[in-house]
Amino acid sequence: MAEEILLEVQDLTHLFPLTKRAVVRAVDGVSFQVRRGEIFGLVGESGSGKSTVARCVMNLYRPRGGRILYKGIDVCDPAAFRANRRMLQRTRQMIFQDSGSSLNQRMRVWEIIAEPLRIQRIAPPRGSLREEAAFQMHYVGLDAGYLDRYPPELSGGQRQRVAIARALAMEPELLVADEPIASLDVSIQAQIVNLFKHLQQEHGFSFLFIAHDLAMVEFLCDRVGVMYRGRLVEAGPAAEVFAHPGHPYTRALLSSIPIPDPRRERARRPEIFSGEALGGRLAETGPGHYVLREEG
Amino acid sequence: MPELLEVNHLSVSFFTGGGEVQAVRDVSFSLGAGEVLAVVGESGCGKSVLCRSIMGLLPRTARIKSGSILAAGRDITACGERELCRLRGSLFSMVFQDPMTSLNPVMSVGAQIAEAVRARQPGLSRSALRGRVAELMELVGIDRPEERMDLCPAGFSGGMRQRSVMAIALAGNPRILFADEPTTALDVTIQAQILDLLREIQGKLGTAAVFVTHDLGVVARVADRVAVMYAGRIVETGTAEEIFYDPRHPYTWGLLQALPALNRGRDSLRAIPGMPPTLIDPPRGDAFACRNAFALAIDYEQAPPMFRVTDTHYAATWLLDERAPRITPPVGGGLDG
Repeated sequence: MAEEILLEVQDLTHLFPLTKRAVVRAVDGVSFQVRRGEIFGLVGESGSGKSTVARCVMNLYRPRGGRILYKGIDVCDPAAFRANRRMLQRTRQMIFQDSGSSLNQRMRVWEIIAEPLRIQRIAPPRGSLREEAAFQMHYVGLDAGYLDRYPPELSGGQRQRVAIARALAMEPELLVADEPIASLDVSIQAQIVNLFKHLQQEHGFSFLFIAHDLAMVEFLCDRVGVMYRGRLVEAGPAAEVFAHPGHPYTRALLSSIPIPDPRRERARRPEIFSGEALGGRLAETGPGHYVLREEG
Repeated sequence: MPELLEVNHLSVSFFTGGGEVQAVRDVSFSLGAGEVLAVVGESGCGKSVLCRSIMGLLPRTARIKSGSILAAGRDITACGERELCRLRGSLFSMVFQDPMTSLNPVMSVGAQIAEAVRARQPGLSRSALRGRVAELMELVGIDRPEERMDLCPAGFSGGMRQRSVMAIALAGNPRILFADEPTTALDVTIQAQILDLLREIQGKLGTAAVFVTHDLGVVARVADRVAVMYAGRIVETGTAEEIFYDPRHPYTWGLLQALPALNRGRDSLRAIPGMPPTLIDPPRGDAFACRNAFALAIDYEQAPPMFRVTDTHYAATWLLDERAPRITPPVGGGLDG
């Protein structure tokens, strides 16, 4: 794997005002790197700040602190962003969690998939925009018969594939996927996960993959970061983190994965993590494996 | 002992502009007192419609075409709305998927539970009502109920909201609890707690439960028996052990094989190819045939009947016919197998 770092998040902090005085620290000092051609998984329970990180990376939120370097360009710096706007918008794409609200209900499927090309004024490599859309749809496993349908006519799984096809139409270098498979069935999830693996291996796509399904993350991702209450509590190679979790929260999270085997599942006792304040800093415990430790 | 719930040859259709959608086709199952049945399958295979038709909560476009539903010995397909209303809450009640949409956001949780209690016991005094609400909240594991009953759902976490919905469902001491994907909207860390709570309550009160889910990990944790549905039909039914350790239907194999836990060390997941068929005009023969690597010629011609494997284990696949070729199942035996 190439060691080139595609995305680097440094000490990212984002706050949401709750009332006039109180704020929520949704993301608090998060740092990680995504190398070219790798799938980086970000896991944690709801409210842990995973989606906020994704949105900051995609310039949908302006973070309160820290830097996000994409190919060495600080995307949070307005001047740098303006200077590289076209490249940034072409090579980063996002798949949102809820395909019901991320697709325009008044556009046909082929118009949705071809819209990024139209906006970016890219000549469709396969003739017309419609043919391009048909190609992408075939790629994600959708029948060309759906080209003229509207999103509400499709099932959740089909809509999610349309959203994925739209992101793929731009042939991005970085794909940010915010819980792309949470709303799908087991069998469809497997199809989509296989597609992601294929895209990574054959076409060298890099992914920031956000999920709460840990079993899927273990299967798909090269490296993972575990978030809890806005902080990154552990990061490292997926096999390493899943085999030797260092932080008590990671252990609690891993012990909560349901096992599809009745005898084992019934014997499983999930650990409960009740750490309130998280202090300390990330310490390296193994090659590339970092765990949040109390100082001193 | 007579079964608490018996569904015989139930067929439910939706009449839409596009034609008749056969959502549930000839489904039969039974549920004993205190038993937990899990209904699994992909979305759109009729799991939720099955629950809703038993509860009498079908929309107007849907109709029960044939079959009977015997609950505690009486046929409820013939009951009118007024009678069904009396049965809901006392004989059976339901927990829905998303607690945020099933709770009223501008009404305190305590008042919402009290509403359900009052429906069953109208003559309760104010203080007795408060006591009963607190008792229910304690039953579902909400600490300090006295302080929390005046909060609105927004002040509750996802897990506590689902606990409150369960308190509402249990207010009338139902004998059957339907749970439609009760933990899908919750975090994994909360999921096991809610499932264990359901099992605990169910053991304490002797409530039978029908669990609708697509998560086989959930099934492994709670179910006594499992029914696998595909395209509106039950294709395999058996005890949880039988389904996980000795599955017989190719669709059950496919569901199990798609799980990441059973694909450790492999390069790709073994997905089931294709999509479930539309139920407007279901295919002739076995609806799963075109996605099934083990399909026989007869699968495309004639729908298979339920073959008996053991007294509790049945599967609808021609592979169990004595003339069929012997096939070694690709899965089964759990994670160690």
